[in-house]
Amino acid sequence: MSADPDEELVRQVGAGDPAAVRTLVARKLPRILALASRMLGDAAEAEDVAQETFVRIWRHASGWRRGNARFDSWIHRVTLNLCYDRLRRRREWVTDEVPDVVDPAPLPDAREEPHLIEQALQAIAPRQREAIILVYYQEMSNIEAAATLEISVDALESLLSRGRRALQAILARDGVHE
Amino acid sequence: MSDGSRKEPAMDAKRFAALAAAYGGDLRRWPQADRMAGTNFAASETGAAILGHAGKLDALLDSYDVKAPGAALYGGILRTADRHLVQRRRKRFWWLGLGLAGIGLAGAVAGLALVSVVTPEIQPDHYVLDANATAFGDAGPDGETVEEDL
Repeated sequence: MSADPDEELVRQVGAGDPAAVRTLVARKLPRILALASRMLGDAAEAEDVAQETFVRIWRHASGWRRGNARFDSWIHRVTLNLCYDRLRRRREWVTDEVPDVVDPAPLPDAREEPHLIEQALQAIAPRQREAIILVYYQEMSNIEAAATLEISVDALESLLSRGRRALQAILARDGVHE
Repeated sequence: MSDGSRKEPAMDAKRFAALAAAYGGDLRRWPQADRMAGTNFAASETGAAILGHAGKLDALLDSYDVKAPGAALYGGILRTADRHLVQRRRKRFWWLGLGLAGIGLAGAVAGLALVSVVTPEIQPDHYVLDANATAFGDAGPDGETVEEDL
C-alpha cells in the first residue's frame, strides 16, 4: 500500500499542533465542501456537513491509524455518511422512497446549464451520484473511489455507467444534451 | 484520477466504449492499466467518435462548479478545533495528574509495607510511665505466670 500523504499531518493535528490544524483545514475543507455541495445540492446544508466532518476529525485525529483506507478516503466516507443522514431525513419528510429511475417530469424552470447539471445530478440515484462525484469531481482513482464506497471496481464501473446514462437521459429531455 | 485496474483483455471497441461510458472521454480518469491501450484505440475513427460522445457530457459536468468555502466557515471550523484541542489537553492533564497521584499513593503504600517488613520491631528497654499509666499495669502477666507455675 502506498504512503498516505496526510498521515504525518494528521499525527500533528492529533498532538494538538495549531499550525497543522490550519493546514489540514486549508487542504481538506474545499474538497469536503465540494463533495457535500454536490451530494446535497444545498450550500447551507453542505456547510453544516463540512463542520460536522471536521468535528469528527478533531475527535479521532489523535487515535487515527491507517487501516485499509487513506485519511482522504476516510473523510470522504464520513462526509458521505453525514450527507446520507440528511438525504434520509429529507426522504422522511417528502416521501417514503427515493426513485432509482429517472423522474420523467421536466426539471423546474432553470435554463442555465450549471443549474441544470446540478438538478440532473440531484435527480439520479444517490449511489450513482456518489460514484460520479468521487471519480469526476473529487478526482479519485477507480480504486480509491471503490474503497471509499466499499464496493468492487466492477460495481463502481456499473454505477458510473448507469449514472452517466441517467444524466444523459435527463439532459437530453431538457434539450441540453443530444 | 484512476490509477489501477484488474488485468484487462486487449482493447477493442466494446471495452473502449464501456470504459468511456463509465469514466468519460478524458483518458486521465481511466484505470491506469487501460490508458495506454485506450490512447492507441482513441486514434481510430471508432475510438475518436466514442470519446467525442462521452466528452459532451464531460463538458456539461465541467460547467457545474460549486462555491469555495468562505472565511466564516474557515473561522467556525478553526474555533471548533480550538475547543476540541483545549478539551483534549485538559483531559490529558487531568488523567496525567490522576495517574501521578495514583503512582504517588501506590509508592507510599509500598514504602510503608516495606518499612514494616524490613525494620525489626523496636523493643523498649525500659518502660516510661506517662501521666495516665499506673504502676500496676505490668503486674497481671507476672501474676498469671506464677499461678501457672504453681
